[in-house]
Amino acid sequence: MELNRRNFLKATGAVAAGAAVGGLVSGRGLLGLKEASADEMAKVKNGLAAYQKVYTTDVMCPAECGLEMWVKDGRLEKIYGNNADPMNGGACCAKGAAGVQLVYSPERIKTPLIRTGERGEGKFRKATWDEAIDAIAKKLTEFKQKYGPESVIMDCGDVTDRDPYWRLNFAYGSPNSYEHGSICDVPRRHGPKLIAGGKRFQPDLMRPLLIRQSDGSLKQDKAYLTKLVIYVGWNPYVATRIVYENRGTVAAQVENGCKVIVVDPALSNTAAKADMWLPIRPGTDGDFFGAILRYILENDNPRNPQRRYIDWDFQKFSTGWDEFRTEFSSWWSKNDPINNLPYFSLGWAENRTGISKAKIEEVAHLFGITKPAALVWGMQSPGHHYNGYTGSILGTVLNIITGNFDVPGGVIDTELAKSDKGGNATGKGFNKRQVKRVINGKEVTADQAKLNIDDFGDWPAAWDGVIADNPRRFEQGVELKYGPFRGLKFPLKAYICRTGNTLFTASAPYRWQQALTAKDANGNYKLELMVVIDTPYLESALYADVILPEASYAERMSLSDIYPSHPVLSMRDQVIKPLHESKNPVEIMNLLAKRLYELGDKDIKPSDFWEKYKSEEDFVNEMLAVAPGRANLGEPLPYPNFPEGYKLIGTPDSLEQGRVTIDHDKKTVKGEPVTVAWMRKHQAVAVWPMSYHRYRKFDATKGEYVPSGGFLGTDSKLFEFHFKRYDGYNKLIDEAGVVPPGLQEIGMQHYPPSFFWFETKWNPYTNPKYKDYAKEYPFQLIAGRIHQTMSATQMIPLLGQTPAEGLWAPLNEEFQYDILEGNPKVPEGMSLRTHKFKKGTWSVGTIAINAADAAQYGIRTGDLMVVQNPLGKEIRGKAAVTEGIRPGVLKIGFGSGGRFSSGLGATFKQKDYTPLHNTLVDPAAMSPIMGFPSFADMVVKIKKAEG
Amino acid sequence: MGENKKKRYGMVIDLRRCVGCMSCQVTCKVENNVPFDDFRARVNIAERGTYPDVKRFFLPTLCNHCEEPPCVEVCPVGASYKREDGVVLVHEDRCIGCGYCIEACPYNARYLDPNLHVAQKCTFCVERIDNGLPPACVHNCMGKARIFGDLNDPESEVSKLLNSVPTEVLKPEMGTHPNVFYIMADFNGAVKKEG
Repeated sequence: MELNRRNFLKATGAVAAGAAVGGLVSGRGLLGLKEASADEMAKVKNGLAAYQKVYTTDVMCPAECGLEMWVKDGRLEKIYGNNADPMNGGACCAKGAAGVQLVYSPERIKTPLIRTGERGEGKFRKATWDEAIDAIAKKLTEFKQKYGPESVIMDCGDVTDRDPYWRLNFAYGSPNSYEHGSICDVPRRHGPKLIAGGKRFQPDLMRPLLIRQSDGSLKQDKAYLTKLVIYVGWNPYVATRIVYENRGTVAAQVENGCKVIVVDPALSNTAAKADMWLPIRPGTDGDFFGAILRYILENDNPRNPQRRYIDWDFQKFSTGWDEFRTEFSSWWSKNDPINNLPYFSLGWAENRTGISKAKIEEVAHLFGITKPAALVWGMQSPGHHYNGYTGSILGTVLNIITGNFDVPGGVIDTELAKSDKGGNATGKGFNKRQVKRVINGKEVTADQAKLNIDDFGDWPAAWDGVIADNPRRFEQGVELKYGPFRGLKFPLKAYICRTGNTLFTASAPYRWQQALTAKDANGNYKLELMVVIDTPYLESALYADVILPEASYAERMSLSDIYPSHPVLSMRDQVIKPLHESKNPVEIMNLLAKRLYELGDKDIKPSDFWEKYKSEEDFVNEMLAVAPGRANLGEPLPYPNFPEGYKLIGTPDSLEQGRVTIDHDKKTVKGEPVTVAWMRKHQAVAVWPMSYHRYRKFDATKGEYVPSGGFLGTDSKLFEFHFKRYDGYNKLIDEAGVVPPGLQEIGMQHYPPSFFWFETKWNPYTNPKYKDYAKEYPFQLIAGRIHQTMSATQMIPLLGQTPAEGLWAPLNEEFQYDILEGNPKVPEGMSLRTHKFKKGTWSVGTIAINAADAAQYGIRTGDLMVVQNPLGKEIRGKAAVTEGIRPGVLKIGFGSGGRFSSGLGATFKQKDYTPLHNTLVDPAAMSPIMGFPSFADMVVKIKKAEG
Repeated sequence: MGENKKKRYGMVIDLRRCVGCMSCQVTCKVENNVPFDDFRARVNIAERGTYPDVKRFFLPTLCNHCEEPPCVEVCPVGASYKREDGVVLVHEDRCIGCGYCIEACPYNARYLDPNLHVAQKCTFCVERIDNGLPPACVHNCMGKARIFGDLNDPESEVSKLLNSVPTEVLKPEMGTHPNVFYIMADFNGAVKKEG
């Protein structure tokens, strides 16, 4: 059925043909026309003068947009996008704009707290900072002496502003520091890392683009060049990570005729705006990519312009292609046991993905023939599946061989393009310290990094860390299996959880609850110390022994962790003074360091902490000093006056104006260092020029392009289709003679040298092992991020008025709650009031279910349903019946429901009828190479709840 | 003042670029301290069709700052008025909170502020536009779908759009002649005539 927006609007009576083109303003409308009074005009003119503007960045989601915050009398009142930041280009989403309700939330942690009840009960008493810091430092001192510093884990769930905490942990002696990256779409990033040494392939849609012109000047280029974008399990309009994909995608459609295809089991908002929506079966994105790659390889013909899919130039800049191709094509003649069809054939893919052969062929041809194009896969596709690596690798290959990598309008590996930051402030140097351990009576000395519990424990290839395996290790302790310290056994004694909420987000919460409350024979908690450092009071905090209140993002400084197409840095500034008794991360780092030092910790030196960083500014200045740290490479050359390939350091203006020192030995061009003061003068943003084809350079003597050697992050600086990165891990395996458990699970002895394939878990349609579940558990359960329900934003009252995608819908029961509400009568414009929420007026987490499926079960929107998995776990939530989801699929928003901490405010009130997706995740299903939770691999059955 | 006389403000909402993020709705609330249950700007969402031929539509709405504003006409005390630059406002000191204007508006764009007991509505962020800034919802729009400017200036972005792309208005049959125009989401670039 052909349905267009015009029909919809007409049907609803909202719009009809209106103004003719042009000549709109007539002499009509003089009715009631009058001058505003002088008073009124003065009020309007002067009203804004009272505000102070501060440029800073967001942290409510990982997009970390540049913001312009308006402050009056020391109070944050309004939030806009920062026009100078090319990531968000002045835009600011609903969540960002609602930040005032988060900063002034009555639910914030206001003082340090010390537990008085049992873990999980949420009983605490107020404590002073001295008392709380002392309690933590004493325990850390004890653990270091008894078990070694490696028994302490620092988990900065939020990647931003983590560096002070990591620095402290590294200096203390533990290399075991985590960040958000450990539980966010790890398998998705696998392909870019293995093959290009990068992380995120994103479309070249960031505009304006600062780029060198042929006359030598720099220009803000606004032209969109992309002709085709395929988003697979990626929903930038609702889960804004790479924020320019909002305005950029629609602008490319409108201004450049770009076609957008969205592959997603659910009609995401991104799918709703696409030219084609392909509702794929969950967990088969890699299958889809595999079929496209096979089609392209089999049908490519350089002599036929209609079949010229591959740009064979990529071979000049790569190694191992033949090996990859041979291994990949060796599967074409094998039949898949699930359907008896040859792997990666169109029929095979149709059977597995549920997308017709004709559509797959159409997309494959379109992707092959359309240049420039971008194939983008997100966290909801390879990211959250047990076998997500396969899709990520195939997607990476597809972009590279079709000539779309780092070309205008193609894909950019934004990890490789972004500015460097952090430098010495990160404290990574402490991990090079030589430490001694006695293992089985033998003394071993090696660098501290070798004590990492993942890299040298059960997950040698988990370069982002395996947070989800920690419950097991809290209970059982750690044995290092690889590297110089192999055989070393130690317990995990302290878990410092800073701005993350691992208990709720890192796979099944019940697993974390078990581990955090597990006791030894003496009745003591096995994990002796759990510390939570955060601004909001989330579920993990219920299990803390000590809680420290951290300053909110409007009250502290740091740098954004962003993924632009070229080097850009944006700075978070202190906009208002820390509220309540909260302190910023640098202060907290210094307080803990000082107390450890006073208690005799010889590894902590005043000159590394409080003497060096007297303020946050000192810390941020050091983080900025290495920027942009990228090579002068690509076309057009960013700085034609400097030697090609030299590393650039310094402010954009000092480089532009040539105020630099060139070091020909070190191959660096050093201008004036970027500083906090410089950033403040430039709207908190530094932008260096864009260039393309940064992986190659022209060799005049050879008369051809050769590898540039300065862009790709692989060892060889080439595209590595032979996975050389795995070689080091395989060496560890050979030395130890122990195959990591993950590899054993998928029947491998080593990390594979090139193309590999294995099936995902809990998928009856692709993995024969689970085929029998299909009948009793006819639904696949998936989850997706929506910006309203990022950790700790669910409680923002205004976001309850912004429904999204059937995952967040106004299906609340009646309740009352004190919320910060608009009130023009008070000078602050908002006041805390008890609000009566009428039934059905406020959005809560819901379960999206296909209309035909719902009808079969007699389920209607708003009905409470029970969802059960084969592991005996069940959740409850209200149905949001929609035509916009594939039959046989249920979708829940991450973190949207079942919130059981009172710190979630009004959202806590809905916990008994909103779904907690993670309860149904199999905590044992950790993806085998990097230990990532398989968030989207599960089958379930449903029923309507009784009563 | 002289400058205002020459200006005539209007807005184009390019539905092709609206990503349904609801930033306009929330930004407006914070900007104008709108009470929780009331709205000056909102986004209507509708799903139409049957799987797999299904679409979701977003329709952002706000006061249309009509050329013939019925709200102004019915005000018994002259509190509702239209400035020369086209912005429809409420004189808070004069408003008696009778609610006639709220009833009269065919777009449901007004509400009675429970704190002030006066009618309130979108002002195009008058304090911002009078200081040369765009309305807050325009500044923050994620898709750059909201374009604001002077309809009397042929070089303004709104005028250029109105002169090149077909637009429509809400409920034209009401004869209110809105100054908020919509570019339909399925408009594909070729200028075409209705009917």
